[in-house]
Amino acid sequence: MSTSSLRRFWTGGDIWLWLMAASLTLLLLMTVVFFGIIVVNGLQALWPRQIAVLTTVAGDTYAGAIIQRQKTQMQVKVANRDLNAQDFIWLDRSDIATIHYPEHIYVLERTEYGDFYGFLAANSSDIATYFKTGKLPPRFKQLQADIVAVQEQTGILNERISKLEKQRMERNDTSKSSWGEQGEVSTRKQTSQPLQSEGMRGQLTAQYQILNDLQTELDTYQAKFTAVPSATVSIALSDLVRYYQPNAMHGLAKFWLYCQKVFELLTAEPREANTEGGVFPAAFGTVLLVFLMSITSFPFGVLAGIYLGLYARDGLLLRVIRIAVHNLAGIPSIVFGIFGLGFFVYGLGASIDQLFYASALPAPTFGTGGILWASLTLGILTLPVVVVATEEALRTVPKSLQDSSMALGATRLQTLTKVLLPAASPSILTGFILAMARAAGEVAPLMITGVVKLAPHLAIDGSFPFLHLERKFMHLGFHIYDISYQSPNVDASRPLVYATTLLLLFIVVLMAGSSIWLRARLRKKYKLGAL
Amino acid sequence: MLGNRVFRAGIMLSLFAISVALTASITLATAAKPIDYKLATGVSGNLNSIGSDTLNNLMTLWGEGFKKLYPNVLIQIEGKGSSTAPPALIAGTAQLAPMSRAMTSREIETFERKYGFKPTRYATAVDSLAIYVHKDNPLPHLSLAQVDAIFSRTRNGKHPSDITTWGQLGLKGKWVKKPISLYGRNSASGTYGFFKKKALFKGDFKEIVKEQPGSASVVNGVGKDLYAIGYSGIGYRTGDVRALPLKKTAEQRAVAPTFVNVLNRTYSLGRALHVYVVQHPSKPMSKLVKEFLKYVLSDEGQRIVSKDGYGKLPYSLRSKQLSALK
Repeated sequence: MSTSSLRRFWTGGDIWLWLMAASLTLLLLMTVVFFGIIVVNGLQALWPRQIAVLTTVAGDTYAGAIIQRQKTQMQVKVANRDLNAQDFIWLDRSDIATIHYPEHIYVLERTEYGDFYGFLAANSSDIATYFKTGKLPPRFKQLQADIVAVQEQTGILNERISKLEKQRMERNDTSKSSWGEQGEVSTRKQTSQPLQSEGMRGQLTAQYQILNDLQTELDTYQAKFTAVPSATVSIALSDLVRYYQPNAMHGLAKFWLYCQKVFELLTAEPREANTEGGVFPAAFGTVLLVFLMSITSFPFGVLAGIYLGLYARDGLLLRVIRIAVHNLAGIPSIVFGIFGLGFFVYGLGASIDQLFYASALPAPTFGTGGILWASLTLGILTLPVVVVATEEALRTVPKSLQDSSMALGATRLQTLTKVLLPAASPSILTGFILAMARAAGEVAPLMITGVVKLAPHLAIDGSFPFLHLERKFMHLGFHIYDISYQSPNVDASRPLVYATTLLLLFIVVLMAGSSIWLRARLRKKYKLGAL
Repeated sequence: MLGNRVFRAGIMLSLFAISVALTASITLATAAKPIDYKLATGVSGNLNSIGSDTLNNLMTLWGEGFKKLYPNVLIQIEGKGSSTAPPALIAGTAQLAPMSRAMTSREIETFERKYGFKPTRYATAVDSLAIYVHKDNPLPHLSLAQVDAIFSRTRNGKHPSDITTWGQLGLKGKWVKKPISLYGRNSASGTYGFFKKKALFKGDFKEIVKEQPGSASVVNGVGKDLYAIGYSGIGYRTGDVRALPLKKTAEQRAVAPTFVNVLNRTYSLGRALHVYVVQHPSKPMSKLVKEFLKYVLSDEGQRIVSKDGYGKLPYSLRSKQLSALK
């Protein structure tokens, strides 16, 4: 290297160029590695694995999926949790004599006790047909449908009976209390009530009997399987989620199965204390939470930003407020959570209960964590980001634009809505995207304002008033925390942790992506802003 | 102080242990009849549970099972620690308060001030706190005093010296010089308090214990770290770790952390997992709560207990508690 180029490197600024390039590379590398780990692990989590039959030197046989191979040992998922003490075992590699992959081995996904690995034994004809063709026996299907129908009936009856009982109890309470004459009036009304509830009770008991008979018949559909090495097991068809023979499947068939599993993950409810099944309620909760957060924090944030940027008179007070807003963005999220708990849940929620839900007290309706309070908490958490972004965006609009609008006779409001806001909207949206991404990944404040481990009933459903903002909810971020730290079988639930993480990442990217798309369209529309 | 609260619970626990031991011996005499759960009428509404994280999975599994029987019941389960249970019960936020320790007298007092009567406790499952090491660790067993000397800096267990390396526990070869890596729970957990009382003889933990946010992550940590030791419920055991048998004193034989050994009181770190409810002494109990408890104590509920890795309750204790629910 000549001296002149060396000098250019040090004093001419080339070194800065190199530093910038290096830091950018590092950043990219970190992103790629991070995404890579999650994407690779998340994508393969649901991929059907080959099932090996391993024979040791001592003559023991195991059937299972080889999860990882270390220098001297390998980890094998032998499943069959109801038969084996452990569904993941470690084997010494030197002990293993043979490994082969029998074509006919089945993987059964069950609603309880996890997967089952084994061979189909001799079965009755309709069950054998099911495992050959995938066609369920028609009577079995009929039974399942009947059970659902009867359960719907019993649900309605149960609800009515409990309502009647509650009314009766309340009446008893009031008649016992001070005003005696009133009590007599109500006893007259009461007489018809027990009769009514007795009748319903009889109906319900009859329904339960039917349900019991249906269930007993359903349970007669049992498939016989042989586990490795020798146990014969009967598995109720109603416990079966799906079955497949991974060793006999070609790539395309596996991919199709994989798609089905992904679909199940997205749409099904969790099973077995959230360690199996889908994550639909959690995904739904996350999206609804961010949506509610957006519609509360965005308008407030933009309005406050506009006031601070355009209307407020410059002075000490404004500067103090501005600094306060900026600092608010730096406060740890858990502090917002505590504020939310104190202000929304115990403050607002308790007052709402006293005003509108007094009959249900002491059981709180809004006075306990719920999706409304959690989203409002996230709303104030992200508010500063939106305020600052709006203010900065308005500042970047050239003063000349504002002046010319005013010079043409437009009022201040017209200038704001017709000129300034459109021109600033892409930048405002950028701030909003950042806020949304932060909100979607936040878990700490939610944990004290309404997230729970199990809440299968969604905040939106078919029963009046359709939107149940007081309900607690499940959240993907909390779901990840929960199954990775709390699940009783860490090895078994690890794939689900990765798949859920990938899903959360995907949802965040999707939401941010749609905002970016919107921003690009706005930018094109209001090219003025670039002038 | 948290410690104080947890320790008082110990008295109740030992009382419970005695009753369990008694009932266990009665069980042998009376033939166990199946306790089937019978569907009841008028079960509907919201069922909220707030409390222990040890019981979190179990409550969820019970909740899932209960929901299968009564699809219209709305169940919400939250488990952020045993200490969150009493306030929730008092505030009415939850009807069920699962706790991995007994309520302290102060908690009971606050409850009584609100309701005018004491909370009712139902034992629902048996847990056994196990000491875990890595699966490749050759250590055969430990005595309680040794456990204390490993985890505690106060050494109330009267072990003559502090234990910091595997060589001090008699391991040979590459293990001799290797320091013991400690895993434990965070101080908010009931497991932490229970271990502190029973294994550390109310002493203090060493600062180098790596405190984990969940029982599963203790097991996970120990499974990944060859030189690690940690404590967690037996329900969280995986193939990556081994649960060590324990000796009460150096002379006694080592006892594995099985539920049989917990029930006959030879294993020192056993405990019961409770659910607390509001049960007015004269008024009928909430139907929903009553049916849930009946379900938990039925054969089906107890099958779920052993599915989750905990121990079933003895038959007689179940029938005694069930008769209180009639």
